[in-house]
Amino acid sequence: MTTFFHILWFKNLMFWKISLKQDFGTVIRNIGSFIVFGSFAVGAFYFSNFVTAYLLENVRIGLFLFHRFVGMLLFVFFITINLGNMVVSFSTLYRSPEVHFLLSSPVSYLDIFTIKFLDNFFYSSGTLFMVGFAVLLGYGVYFNHPWHFYLLMMFGVLVPFMFLAGCIAVVVLLLFMKLAAKINFRILIASIVLFYVSQVYIYFKVTSPINLVQEVMKYYPYVDLYFGSLDPAGAKILPNFWVSEILYFYVQKNFGAVTGYTALLVLSTAGVFVFSLAIANASFYSTWITSLSLKSLTVKRFQFKSSFFTFEKKSLLSPQTEVILKKEFWQFIREPSQWVHFIVMMALLVIFLSSVSTLNIKLESPELKAVVYLVVFIFNIFLINSIALRFGFPMISLEGSAYWSVRSAPISPERMYWVKFLVLVLFLGLLSLLIAFLSNIPYLFVRRVAAEESGILAYITPHIAVKQLAYFSIIITPVVAVTLASLNFGLGSVYSNFVEKNPIRIASSQGATMTFLLSVVYLVILLAAYYFPTLMMFNAEVKNLPVDWTALRIVFLVITLSSLCIAGITHILGVRSLRRDY
Amino acid sequence: MIELKNLTKNFGLFTAVDDVSLKIPSGEFFGFLGPNGAGKTTTIKMMTGLFTPTSGQIIINGFDVVKQPLEAKSSFGYIPDHPYLYDKLTGREFIYYVGGLYKMKKDELKESAERVIDLLELAGWVDNKTEDYSQGMRQRVTFAAAFVHNPRTIIIDEPMVGLDPRSARIVKDTLKQKAKEGVSIFMSTHILEMVDELCDRIGIINKGKMIFLDTKESLHVHKSKYDGKLESVFLELTKEIGEE
Repeated sequence: MTTFFHILWFKNLMFWKISLKQDFGTVIRNIGSFIVFGSFAVGAFYFSNFVTAYLLENVRIGLFLFHRFVGMLLFVFFITINLGNMVVSFSTLYRSPEVHFLLSSPVSYLDIFTIKFLDNFFYSSGTLFMVGFAVLLGYGVYFNHPWHFYLLMMFGVLVPFMFLAGCIAVVVLLLFMKLAAKINFRILIASIVLFYVSQVYIYFKVTSPINLVQEVMKYYPYVDLYFGSLDPAGAKILPNFWVSEILYFYVQKNFGAVTGYTALLVLSTAGVFVFSLAIANASFYSTWITSLSLKSLTVKRFQFKSSFFTFEKKSLLSPQTEVILKKEFWQFIREPSQWVHFIVMMALLVIFLSSVSTLNIKLESPELKAVVYLVVFIFNIFLINSIALRFGFPMISLEGSAYWSVRSAPISPERMYWVKFLVLVLFLGLLSLLIAFLSNIPYLFVRRVAAEESGILAYITPHIAVKQLAYFSIIITPVVAVTLASLNFGLGSVYSNFVEKNPIRIASSQGATMTFLLSVVYLVILLAAYYFPTLMMFNAEVKNLPVDWTALRIVFLVITLSSLCIAGITHILGVRSLRRDY
Repeated sequence: MIELKNLTKNFGLFTAVDDVSLKIPSGEFFGFLGPNGAGKTTTIKMMTGLFTPTSGQIIINGFDVVKQPLEAKSSFGYIPDHPYLYDKLTGREFIYYVGGLYKMKKDELKESAERVIDLLELAGWVDNKTEDYSQGMRQRVTFAAAFVHNPRTIIIDEPMVGLDPRSARIVKDTLKQKAKEGVSIFMSTHILEMVDELCDRIGIINKGKMIFLDTKESLHVHKSKYDGKLESVFLELTKEIGEE
């Protein structure tokens, strides 16, 4: 234990020495970070407060449904932390030079594991704690909760909840590495991907948000009551359900239930943490040894061949463009952390699109119609942003230590920048078009579906707004996708880190977090600008009034112009930063 | 041909390179010496466009590196002290990649790539990914990539790092041959014997200032003042004030 605290002390020392560096550049960067993070926290507070008030007072979904939606969001949050921790833990525990060094010194394997696991968890979760707390604050202020609510939520709920996701991630990783020595690596990866994808699918299939809304709304206006009998049994064993129960019962002042669920969460977290330590004690070293041979196993089994992309093959493109494109292709294909993560994200995307394309949009209230429409819209954008951040942000940094070969060659940094950006923007532009089209299917075919289901043409009015809004979505989504690609790629160049080799760590660095926060601010502004015209149009549709397009057209113009400005500014900054001393 | 005119580089208040001037004609093999932190790598990074000079001018083969960077870079090949490569590419792919950056036509590139692969004896492992290479193998691939476009000038920072005796011999012979062909070579190194063996002229930099710039023969004259060793001359020229 003495060694453990000794290492922890020096890690702490290094952290403070780096954080309190006093040179001009660092101070400016820290002030910039403080302003962005602070603004984001304030924004998250107001947003959470506004959404809570809006759903409970305007849309009147009731406390039970509201907290079930919170629970569903927490499920996505839990899976995100879990997957994120698993991928980052792999590089921290098995690829870090620090582990190599510590293994050659008289430090126990358990101490090394614990240090690196905690290091990894707090490194990748710092911003999430801040955002989580700001959201909690916005939520708590709406309900006028006392100060001890926040203490309980932060230390009794949020920290254990996130830590549980991290612990489960590391247990899965250790088991994965243990099995990797015996089972075909490809089958193992596919099984894990399939497992996670099926869990997400089953969760939303079982909890069925639309059915839940319909069932609860039968009891309107008594929708604040507890409808626990509607909860599927399987959902009750999940930590996100416990947290949503804690929040619901706190509002209802049922402190017995709050204490029970909090104790369940904390004890489960402690139990899984102890379990992870026990597994690590027994198998961390052996799995580390396996990780050394994993590279050769991966290399042999994943040899991808494509004569089209060989460097020897002639091309119609200019030699510089050609070699950059080919290099990007091979770097992506030959890096498992890139393509595995890509496949997982695409699988989640397919699940989302298949759920959305069968969405029931026959709702009465214009507010609810607007909310459902905007949630689908913003979720599309959020997905595109996640892909842009994960794969676009690290693109310049992945030049790595070999960037000297470009800088000393007769190619302008701008050319390399634009060729790389072209790859990202073409992919994201096409993907966003596809996502926008597929997710708007329920709106695009509203006439036919309504007519077929009702047998009469009752739903058809001369003023159908949804169809036009769907076309608008399909046009604006690629515009926003290009902006997000520019933002993530450009700021990825500004915050380039040529030392870090792991794309996942680059995409979760401080610069990436800042970029993510800026993208979220952009998305919130987008949502705010888009909300009132959408609501006006749904209002007109429900009341069978002529639809006024002026507001939507103005919003489209403003969004497009401001998006162009954002893209332009980030590209100027991105290109300029490539001219820095290397 | 390389010409440095009053070259200076400041990092904040620290001056890494201080008013350095020199001229290297075609076909000359120039050795650039200096203790650790003297400013050798900074000078080279400015010459290759990795750093921007604070003041002064760098002309390579008639082109100003700051004002005409692409033309200047087209005319030289660079071998850095730490030859990092793209891990996921093979050695051959890296050579083709660099050839493409120099806008070489595919047929010409193929022929030239085969030539440098033969020259540096890379054939046995050039199709493996560079992440599996030793330091010496990386160094040899970097040499091959620097030679592939037939540069008129070669700039090398510490060429012998990690090379085994056979590889070192291959590299030395190749460099000698290049100099004979009229290529000007600017080489920074710590290995005094190598300077003695290969270079026509020598520059010694200390604390950013050029403290010696003359022919190898002139340095030999200095040698006789001490114990006849080049090492002693170097130590005397670069010693700290407190050491006197």
